[in-house]
Amino acid sequence: MKLHDTIDVLIGGYLSKDAAEEDYNAVLECGGHLQGAVVVSKDLEGNLSVEETDHMVAEGAAGLGAVGFAVGLFAPPLLAATAIGAAIGAGAGALLHHETVEKLGEQAGATIPLGGAGLIVAYSHSEAEKVEPAVTRAIQQAVGEAEGNHVKALKGALADAQQKMAEHDA
Amino acid sequence: MSQPDRSKLPIQSAPFGGVANRTLDGSKPDWSTIGHVDVPDGAPNVLVVLIDDAGFGNPATFGGPIETPNYTRIANEGLRYNRFHVPALCSPTRAALLTGRNSHAVGFGSVGEFSTGFPGYTAFVPDECTPIPRILRDNGYSTAAFGKWHLTPDGQQGPAGPFNRWPTGWGFDYFYGFLGGGASQWDPCLAENQKIIGTPEDFYDEEDPYYLPDAMADKTIEWLHAIRGQDAEKPFFAYFSTGCSHAPHHVSEAWAAKYKGKFDQGWDTLREETFARQKELGVIPADAELTERDEAFPAWEDAPDKLKAYYARQMEVYAGFSENADHNVGRVIDAIEELGELDNTLVIWIWGDNGASMEGTITGSFNELTMQNGIPLTDEMQLQLAERYGGVEAWGGQMMDPHYSAAWAWAGNTPFQWGKQVGSHLGGTRNPMVVHWPERISEHGALRTHFTHVTDIGPTILDIAGIPAPTHVDGIAQEPLHGVSFADSLTDPAASEHHTQQYFETIGNRAMYKDGWWLAMKTARIPWVITPDALKPYAPGVWNPDDDPVELYYLPDDFSQARDLAAEHPEKVQELKELFWAEAEKYKVLPLMAPLAGFFGMLPPLPAAAKHEFRGDVQNVLSGMIPRIYNHSYTISADLVIPPGGAEGVIVAEADHLGGFSLFVDDGKLTHTYSMMGVFVFRQQAEEPLPEGDVSVRMEFAADAAKPATGGEVTLFIDDRPVGKGRMEHTVPVRFSGYAGMDIGRDNGGVVDRSYEDRKPFAFTGTIKKVVFDVNPHTSAEEAHELHAAEHHGHTAHALSA
Repeated sequence: MKLHDTIDVLIGGYLSKDAAEEDYNAVLECGGHLQGAVVVSKDLEGNLSVEETDHMVAEGAAGLGAVGFAVGLFAPPLLAATAIGAAIGAGAGALLHHETVEKLGEQAGATIPLGGAGLIVAYSHSEAEKVEPAVTRAIQQAVGEAEGNHVKALKGALADAQQKMAEHDA
Repeated sequence: MSQPDRSKLPIQSAPFGGVANRTLDGSKPDWSTIGHVDVPDGAPNVLVVLIDDAGFGNPATFGGPIETPNYTRIANEGLRYNRFHVPALCSPTRAALLTGRNSHAVGFGSVGEFSTGFPGYTAFVPDECTPIPRILRDNGYSTAAFGKWHLTPDGQQGPAGPFNRWPTGWGFDYFYGFLGGGASQWDPCLAENQKIIGTPEDFYDEEDPYYLPDAMADKTIEWLHAIRGQDAEKPFFAYFSTGCSHAPHHVSEAWAAKYKGKFDQGWDTLREETFARQKELGVIPADAELTERDEAFPAWEDAPDKLKAYYARQMEVYAGFSENADHNVGRVIDAIEELGELDNTLVIWIWGDNGASMEGTITGSFNELTMQNGIPLTDEMQLQLAERYGGVEAWGGQMMDPHYSAAWAWAGNTPFQWGKQVGSHLGGTRNPMVVHWPERISEHGALRTHFTHVTDIGPTILDIAGIPAPTHVDGIAQEPLHGVSFADSLTDPAASEHHTQQYFETIGNRAMYKDGWWLAMKTARIPWVITPDALKPYAPGVWNPDDDPVELYYLPDDFSQARDLAAEHPEKVQELKELFWAEAEKYKVLPLMAPLAGFFGMLPPLPAAAKHEFRGDVQNVLSGMIPRIYNHSYTISADLVIPPGGAEGVIVAEADHLGGFSLFVDDGKLTHTYSMMGVFVFRQQAEEPLPEGDVSVRMEFAADAAKPATGGEVTLFIDDRPVGKGRMEHTVPVRFSGYAGMDIGRDNGGVVDRSYEDRKPFAFTGTIKKVVFDVNPHTSAEEAHELHAAEHHGHTAHALSA
């Protein structure tokens, strides 16, 4: 892997854990090389679950949790309007910083809506054609990209994805 | 024995015919004074069965895919009627059925939840139109109704009545069922006679949970046994009105599983299959044509492959639900047979009150109320939400309130166009009817093609029973019945057709039938679209009904309305148009679109009450009667006594996890959960426990703005001190639930917050002195008016699809 690669980050929002996990498993099996993937969900009783690959950890990289993946973006802005004219939208959350998966979970616990789920996948831009078609069930998704060293690129790509998600909301 | 004068009700007692001296000496009793009115000789028992939200092409008895062995049995021993008609909406059909008069003329141009200031849409039956059950009761019948009612206005479904709008007020001795348009089959909020009895205790029995269709049959059989225990002769009139197949489609997996894989072919092919069977059975003419799919319905082949299993499951559950209804009606019929009375029981079984319902929108929904709240969800979103609540395999179970896709409804209305709400076409107006009466019907399994209408049911029953329509009831002169008896067709296949002319109107969709000709005048609105943009074209001064496109059919040659003859017969079009206007005026159909009056500024007076106080343990406040907390700021406060050691449980809760709110104490902490129709769920909890002793708690919702579905901030208070907060991004704009009630001190039925599911109903262990809703905090008069309008719009939206 090059030191200065173009990194893509795909973020997706879901209304069910099942759907997010289906996409999570699909990207793991898509044949593309992933730098990491995280699926976070919260059930109706408020219990949080976090699952992530350890690709980057295995490669000696910092891991997804270390680059500050956002978790406040999983309240999908899925309701355009009610019959009586109410515009409904939920903005993407702020970029958060975490050190560990536990922290990621902690933050997600505060921001993921009950019953919701989210997926974050990081991969080299060159793998996009394999990875992105595997994500088929996100209610809303965005892909950001950035160049630079590993962690810097991840952060940049995530910020780009969040920006796009927010623009989609607006 | 001389017959009493039955033209005036109540029937006047004969004068005392004995002798009453100062003592018994020489006195002579007249035992007739302590008797009761007897029915005319030969009057049979009557069982009327009405299935809900089902189509002509649903039951196997009429070629459909749903196994209906009991319906078929009764049809094979009786008669099938294949040109029976109804208004295209729930309450109007029921009102017409139970009064023998056109629905608008008895105040039911729309549904029972929604009263307007126009005579045809009050939801109040005029005293001049006494219902059939009252006539039967006063003439000596025992009368009872079971199941769905839907003829009591929304705001009158509580202990204050007035009860003349309830089933007992319509002449039923006994009622067991639900007052609204739909109900959960698992945890309905029930009424019995004049009391809301709430969710049955058996709901909490995990091994053998309550199921309304079973209970309806049980209660009916119990009632039959009870009246026979008292009186071996007195005939009965039983009205068995199933909640099935109205949403929510609830049935146990055993019933749904019978249809596993039976609908994988999709709705287009299902229509073709049904149509072929209908011809084979002979329930439609050999030359009938299958009508085309309107572009409002997607082709099955265009549905995403990954979602086809989701769609198929919707229909599997609907089919299982419907077959279960057939099963339970069969139990009632078996019980009558066991009593030895089936031969002399007139059974009239109507499969559907308005065609199948398209109100699930194209996607179908895990929660039927999402449509009524105007929440646009894609099919993928719906699937994910179904997954959230247990997955498609749980569709039909207690965790969802599902409704299938409009396209399945269209298939259920084979071979016709459209369905419920569309009064202009047969999909919404023609349903199967079977009549069974072994004592008189000898031509077993025959088909009758007479044009009949639901207003004919009452006159037919009276005709057969030998009871005249009264001229006066309680001293009030009565309007004549509008329907006509078809009793002669039971025994005479050549009997002439008596019902030769009939108007139809449902939310602007209208038709005029006369002597075989049918003029269809459909508005452009798609029935399941109730957005402001969709309704604007019908604003006063904008809409001219005579500009609507028309279609003309000649039904004797065109059973399914497949060949539009309007261009060839402009004079017939004009004649029927004019006739429609005359009939509309005569039967109080005008003004057209009256149910939408609220959308166009014609609002009822603003309610005066801004505060609602509940003391004690008030329970089962029906969903249409809860305080108006929608779309603006509000507070809920409660005065509590917390015993030593603390308390837990629900202070107040409305409805369930698919839409509702709960203010409760858990782990000693005040907690508020709000479910925005199960799509979004918000929870806030105090950061400190409640103290012991007298304590006042409050939940304040500060809306971002007084507007529909507004977001806002929630703050929790203990003794006026803020102890917790959180944000609710979206709130429910119209209605939390179609059926579930609000309770003080517990959360009856399905719970709002799943965290206390295992402790339901999670009764409060302290003391609740009172709970107060303030629904008007900080709202200006102008805002109040705007919100009143918005609320009324929402109410209308609900009414359009109830």
